[in-house]
Amino acid sequence: MDRVLNRFIVALRGAGVPVSVSESIDAAQALAISGYGDRPVVKSSLGATLAKSVAEKEIFDDCFERFFSFHPLPSELAPAAEPAAGEPSAVLPPIGGMILEGDLGGIALAVRDAARSADLQSIRFFTQRGMFTARILQALNLDQLDRFVADLSPDGSAGAGGTARRIEQGRDAVVDMVRRYVEEQYEIYARESTERVIERYLWDVRLTELEERHYERMHFLIRKLVKRMNDRYSRRRRRSKRGALDFKRTLRANMHHGGLLFDISWKQKKVNRPDVVILCDVSRSMSTVVRFCLLMLYGLNEVVARVRSFVFCSSLLEVSDIFERCPLAEAVERLRTGEGLDIHMGRTDYGSAFWDFTNRHLDAVTGKTTVIILGDARSNYGDPAEGLLKQIADRCRRLIWLNPETPPMWGTGDSEMRRYARLCDLVMECSTLRHLEQLVRVLVRIP
Amino acid sequence: MPDKGRCGGWDGEKGIFKKVPGSFSRRSERRDTGDGCGSEAVRIHRTKGPAGGGHPGRIARTQANPGRRTAQREGEVMTDRGRAFSAVETVREGFRQTGYICNTEIATIVYLAFHLEKPVLVEGPAGVGKTELAKKAAAFLNVPLIRLQCYEGLDESKALYEWKYGKQLLYTQLLRDKLDQIVRREDDLGESIRTLHRYEDIFFSPQFLEARPLLRALQQEEGAVLLIDEVDKADEEFEAFLLEILSDFQVSIPEIGTVRSRTKPFVFLTSNSTRELSEALKRRCLHLFIPFPDPDLERQIVRHHVPGIPERLEKQLVLFIHEVRRMELKKAPSISETIDWARALILLHAEGLDRDLTRKTLNTFLKFEEDIRAVDEKIFLLVDKAIRETA
Repeated sequence: MDRVLNRFIVALRGAGVPVSVSESIDAAQALAISGYGDRPVVKSSLGATLAKSVAEKEIFDDCFERFFSFHPLPSELAPAAEPAAGEPSAVLPPIGGMILEGDLGGIALAVRDAARSADLQSIRFFTQRGMFTARILQALNLDQLDRFVADLSPDGSAGAGGTARRIEQGRDAVVDMVRRYVEEQYEIYARESTERVIERYLWDVRLTELEERHYERMHFLIRKLVKRMNDRYSRRRRRSKRGALDFKRTLRANMHHGGLLFDISWKQKKVNRPDVVILCDVSRSMSTVVRFCLLMLYGLNEVVARVRSFVFCSSLLEVSDIFERCPLAEAVERLRTGEGLDIHMGRTDYGSAFWDFTNRHLDAVTGKTTVIILGDARSNYGDPAEGLLKQIADRCRRLIWLNPETPPMWGTGDSEMRRYARLCDLVMECSTLRHLEQLVRVLVRIP
Repeated sequence: MPDKGRCGGWDGEKGIFKKVPGSFSRRSERRDTGDGCGSEAVRIHRTKGPAGGGHPGRIARTQANPGRRTAQREGEVMTDRGRAFSAVETVREGFRQTGYICNTEIATIVYLAFHLEKPVLVEGPAGVGKTELAKKAAAFLNVPLIRLQCYEGLDESKALYEWKYGKQLLYTQLLRDKLDQIVRREDDLGESIRTLHRYEDIFFSPQFLEARPLLRALQQEEGAVLLIDEVDKADEEFEAFLLEILSDFQVSIPEIGTVRSRTKPFVFLTSNSTRELSEALKRRCLHLFIPFPDPDLERQIVRHHVPGIPERLEKQLVLFIHEVRRMELKKAPSISETIDWARALILLHAEGLDRDLTRKTLNTFLKFEEDIRAVDEKIFLLVDKAIRETA
C-alpha cells in the first residue's frame, strides 16, 4: 500500500496540491490507524492529512476518484484455447503466454509493472505520451513477441498459423491497452503541469502582446501577487509598532502614580504608506499595460494609502471616482471600453496632458505623493512641455516613469523619454508582470 | 531560578483545595515546570458531561490530591480513553450520545486526530457546528474545555501567560519594610544587591503568573480539549507562535522554564476562511471541512434536538431549508437556525408547512431584510416543492 500511497501523492502533487513530506508521513500513519477496509474512511483519512484547504479538497476529491477507480479490462482477447502440444514456447515472452491463455488479469498486471519500470508517473507533458508508450511496450518484450510470431509463420502448419494469428490479435489489444493506460495516467499525473507552464510564461510575456484568452489567468496571477505583497508589507508595518521601551513617554504618563510605572508605552516607528497619483496614457498601444497596472495598484491597499488616477490621451481626466464606485474588474473594463469617459481620444499629446494636470489637479500632489506616469512618452512630435513636468517633479516626493517599451527604444523617433528621464527620480521598463512586481518593491522602499 | 528549598516559603498557596459545586472548580495543582517549583491555583471551565453518563467516553476522574496519582492510575485513564476511540463507529456513537450527530468523515478525522495526537483545523460556513464539535469532544472525553477566542491584536500575553504586574507592584510596596530590613543589614551597596539577588526570583515565580488559555490547557493533568476559535481572525505572528505549542505541546517561559504538557490536550482550531492560514500551520493539523449537512443528516439532527416533531413537518422543513440554501443569499440559514425554526413551528402547533405560517416565521432563520424579501418572493414555489417532494 505504501507504494500506492506514494504514487497517489505524486499524482496529487501533479494536480496542484502541494503535499509536504511530513504530510505524506501523516497520511501513511493515518492509514495505518484507520485501515484500508472502508473506502469512505480511507478517503477522509487521506483528505484530512493531504488536502488542507477547500480548494485543495476539491482537487483531492477529483484525484481520489480518478486514481482509485476500477477500470474494467478490455475483453477483446480471444478466449483461451487448448494449448497445442509440442509448440516451441522457449522463446515466447511471458506476455505471449498470457495472451495465449487469455489471462487478462496477468496482462493488466504486466502492463502496470512495465509502466512502473518505465517511470510513467514522471510524465508531465502530452508530447511525452508516445515516448512512454514505446518504453512500456519495450518493457513488455513485445519485439521479442514479434520475432516469435515471425518464426512461427514459415512453418505453415495449421496449428501454428492459428497461434500466430491469435498472438497477433492479442498483441494489438495489448498495444491498445497500453496506449489507453498512458492516456489515463497522463490525466492523473500531468494535467496541472501544463497550467503551470502557462503561468510561468505569463510572468514574462509582454503585456502589450497578451492574448485576450489569458486575461482571466492574468487577473488571477495579479491577485496572487497583490496578496503576497499585502501580506508581506502589513507584517512589516505591524512589526514597527513593537520595540524598545519609550522611557520618556512612560515616565510622563506615570507621573501621577508617584513614579510607579503602571502604564508602559513602547517606542513606535512610523511607517508611512505612500499616496500615489498615477497618470496613465490610454492610447490603444498602452491599454493592456494600463489595465494590469491599475488592477494591481488598486489592490495594494496595505502598501499604498490612497490612489488617485488620471488617464490621458489628447486630454486628461480623473478616473478615481470610477474605481471608488465600481468593483475593480468592472472599473478597468470601463476604462478599456471608454464607456462614459469624457476624454478626447485623438493623438497622444503629453504636453497638453501635463498642462491639464498642472492647471487643474496640481493640488493632488503634495510632498508625500509618489507620482507615477505610465506611458511610452511618444508625443507625436508635439511640444513635450518639460517645464510643466518639472513643476510636478518639484512638488512631489518621487516621480516614477514607467515605460512599456524596452530601453533601447527610448528616445528614438517621436519618443521624448530621454528628455523626461532627466526630471524623474526613477525610470523603469514596465512591460511584464515581473516588472509590475518590481514596481511594488520600489513603492515599499520609501527613501 | 529558585530551587525547591527556597521556594518553601511560598507554600501557603499550595494548600488551597476547595471543590465548588457547579461548573467551576478551583483546585490546586502541582506543576512540574522543569525546576520542580510550581504550585498554583488554576481555574478551569468544565463542560458538563451528558446527562445519562456512563457512555464509553467516561473517564474516571481523580478527585483526590493529584499528587497522589500513580502511574497505574494514568494507565487506567488511557485505556478508558483508548476504548472510547477504539473504532470510527465508536466515536460516532459516542458523539451521538453527547448530542452531536456527525457523518463518517467527521468521526474518522476526530478518531485519527486522537490517535495521531494532532490538532484538527475545522473549516466551513458559519453555523455548521464547528465550535460545537470541540465542545462535544470535551463532553465525550469528559475533560475540561478551554477556549481561546481569537481576534485581531491577540498576543502572547492574552493567549499564553502574563505576569501579574499589579500584584507584583503591590507586593513590593507591602513588603517594602521587609526589604528595607534585609538590605539595611548590609552596609555596602554591592553586598545589598547580592542579598537582593537571592530573593529576586520571588516576584517571577508561578504565584505571579497569570495563566491564559494556552498555558492552562498544557497544565491540565488529565488533558483537556483546547478550542482555538476563529484562528483566522488573529494576526499571522500569532499563528507562528502557535506552531511551537501545536507541534511539541510545550512552551518556554524565560523566568520559569519550559512547561510541558503531561497529557497532550486535544486541540481544535476553527476558521471561517476570512484569510488564508499559513502553510506551516496547516501542515501540522488535520484538515476537516464541514459543509452544510445533506438532508438525511440534517433530519437526524433536527429529530435529535426537537424530539416529538411530526415526521411530515420535519421532512418538509429540512427540504425547504435546503432549497433556501441553494439561493444566493447574504447569509444562508445555519443548522442552529433550522432547529430554531423547528422549535418555533412546534410552538405554533404546526403539523406541516404552509405558506402563511412559513412567511410569518421566515425571520427565525433569515437575518437580513433582503434575504427575507428574496425568499418571500419565491415562497409559493419553495413551499409547494417541499410539500410535493415529501408527499
